[in-house]
Amino acid sequence: MSDNRAASVFSKPRVLVVDDSSLMRLYCRDVLERGGFEVEQAINGIEAMEKILGQSFDLVIVDVNMPRLDGISFIRALRAHASSIAALPTLVMTTEASSQDREDARAAGANFYLVKPVAEAELLRHVAMFIGGRS
Amino acid sequence: MADSESPPGAVHVTQDDVRRLCEFIYRRTGMSFNDNKRYYIDRRLSERMAATGAGSFRSYFATLRSDANHEIEHLVNAFTVNETYFYREDHQLRCMTSDLLGRIVQGKKREDPIRIWSIPCSTGEEPYSIAMWLMENWPEVDSHNIEIVGSDIDTRALNLAGAGIYGSRALMRLPRDVIDRYFARIEADQVQIDAGLRDSVQFTRANLIDASDMARYRGFDIVFCRNVLIYFDDASRRIAAENLYDCLRPGGYICLGHSETMSRISPLFGVCRFADAIVYQKPEAGHVG
Repeated sequence: MSDNRAASVFSKPRVLVVDDSSLMRLYCRDVLERGGFEVEQAINGIEAMEKILGQSFDLVIVDVNMPRLDGISFIRALRAHASSIAALPTLVMTTEASSQDREDARAAGANFYLVKPVAEAELLRHVAMFIGGRS
Repeated sequence: MADSESPPGAVHVTQDDVRRLCEFIYRRTGMSFNDNKRYYIDRRLSERMAATGAGSFRSYFATLRSDANHEIEHLVNAFTVNETYFYREDHQLRCMTSDLLGRIVQGKKREDPIRIWSIPCSTGEEPYSIAMWLMENWPEVDSHNIEIVGSDIDTRALNLAGAGIYGSRALMRLPRDVIDRYFARIEADQVQIDAGLRDSVQFTRANLIDASDMARYRGFDIVFCRNVLIYFDDASRRIAAENLYDCLRPGGYICLGHSETMSRISPLFGVCRFADAIVYQKPEAGHVG
């Protein structure tokens, strides 16, 4: 980013929301945009990977159960990547509440695990764990 | 505004560089970052290094330490989430007009100014919201001398605040008639706030944890200090709270963000539970009430 002005006041932290449910994506987008974030969406792990390789993000929020590439496999693929995107923080947001699901996500390299439904304030608070600065 | 062309993490910084940077930011601003934010910090640091043309962390850090071109402000701002919009957390504004101001004017002579401070005010949405809210919701607004000050560590944000130009997203919580009264459209997606309102707010630079900075601000009746203390560690939080305490008149009130409580930060303030909001009060000589 060479535009000084843009890099300072106007550059918003970018979050990628990966979920096959359009309603969930819409909900996350609304909450996060209100929270001052720029939001990009993907409908499965494959599309998420393509976006991450082409654009910069500060955080990925990812569902577990998705067609083509599920959330856990996506995180494994991300962590195995040779470039710096391997360190991109991932927040799993899912309806799967079992301890095995949590353990799978942790083992794959997820940074945090949230069980849906996630209220607005809770979502923003968890996103703020990874994206800092005052608001 | 995506930097989609630049490969993520193009500039190499080491763990040690990041540690030094965080230490420096902490000492200068009180903001502390944990390990969860490492990726975020790397990215912001790379952005600022690219923006300033620094070829290495070492040269960037030298620029930062010499405070050339106010780089510390730009860096802090790069870490900032600009969540502000007009009438954000309006329950506190409602509390101000339904409970706080009545109590404040009781103890004042008519000619004494009522002083309200928004810190940090970022690009001005909060102090302008206070001004608009008073115009719309406080019948006594004409019979008092009200001073509104907006302060921030970032002079660039303050310049934008003074210009008063906003995108339509910042207006999302405002009623249609309020938008019509106080904003003029200057471009398809841009509006400018009314000149009268721009004149009603004074913008100044201030650093919450710098005691000598803060010593220039005294005698406030209400301070809005929202969603900044959450980014401080305990020590800086206490310093900020003590500085704010000194800036308030006895009996003055402080409004924090919805997830923040003063009780865990400093014992100096009393807690006031009003119908619309919980606010904190600097004790009047001898009592809180």
